[in-house]
Amino acid sequence: MSAEQLLGSGDFGTATVVADLEAGLGTLSRLEAEKVDLTVVVVEPTPRSLDVGARALSIAREKQQGRTLVVANKVRDVDADLARVREWLGDVEVVVVPEDDAVVEADARGIALFDHDPGSPALASLASIADLLV
Amino acid sequence: MKIAVTGKGGSGKTTTSAALARTLARRGLAVVALDCDTNPNLGISLGVGDQETERLLTLRERLDEGGVEHAPGWDELMERFGTDAPDGVRLGVITRIENPEPG
Repeated sequence: MSAEQLLGSGDFGTATVVADLEAGLGTLSRLEAEKVDLTVVVVEPTPRSLDVGARALSIAREKQQGRTLVVANKVRDVDADLARVREWLGDVEVVVVPEDDAVVEADARGIALFDHDPGSPALASLASIADLLV
Repeated sequence: MKIAVTGKGGSGKTTTSAALARTLARRGLAVVALDCDTNPNLGISLGVGDQETERLLTLRERLDEGGVEHAPGWDELMERFGTDAPDGVRLGVITRIENPEPG
């Protein structure tokens, strides 16, 4: 069973499903229409990342994969980076996540950011996504 | 509610997924985290460690090799091929391992 088959199979009961799709556009491209309630598009403020993000947004909208939300990650200069995100992605709902050494350190140690540095700025921003869902 | 997290490799997709899953679980929701990436490391970002992440991947490979005759439902899949992550998140690895389609 593939990821898109499982996600498309529907009934997860009362569970909230968070699916970390394959890098790039593969799973999103193969997923049948209207199978998720929210598509989170994670981008860095770089042309290559924003290009993939723009295409992901386009596919998600075309296939009506629920609400779309952009996470602008590894942001150093909020004004300039946010302007770049808007330039590529238009008027979208954006959560800004600052560049944060704690993320790199957690990755290097092979542990969760939550367990490495619960007070990290990046984690606070990422956790704020949950506020947008209720 | 089903949430799909997507993006270019290296964008922070997995870190985002893990942080969101654990935050929602801490707020009392029953959360199922699905690792659909061909380089599955959501387990590490959720905090189950690399050994358990590797074990899940091995289970998943066995499933792909045809050990299961009928595709199980998601709950059976999560029961057999999932693991418990911190904050009550249930993690499953559903990556299709690179292998040729039969026939």
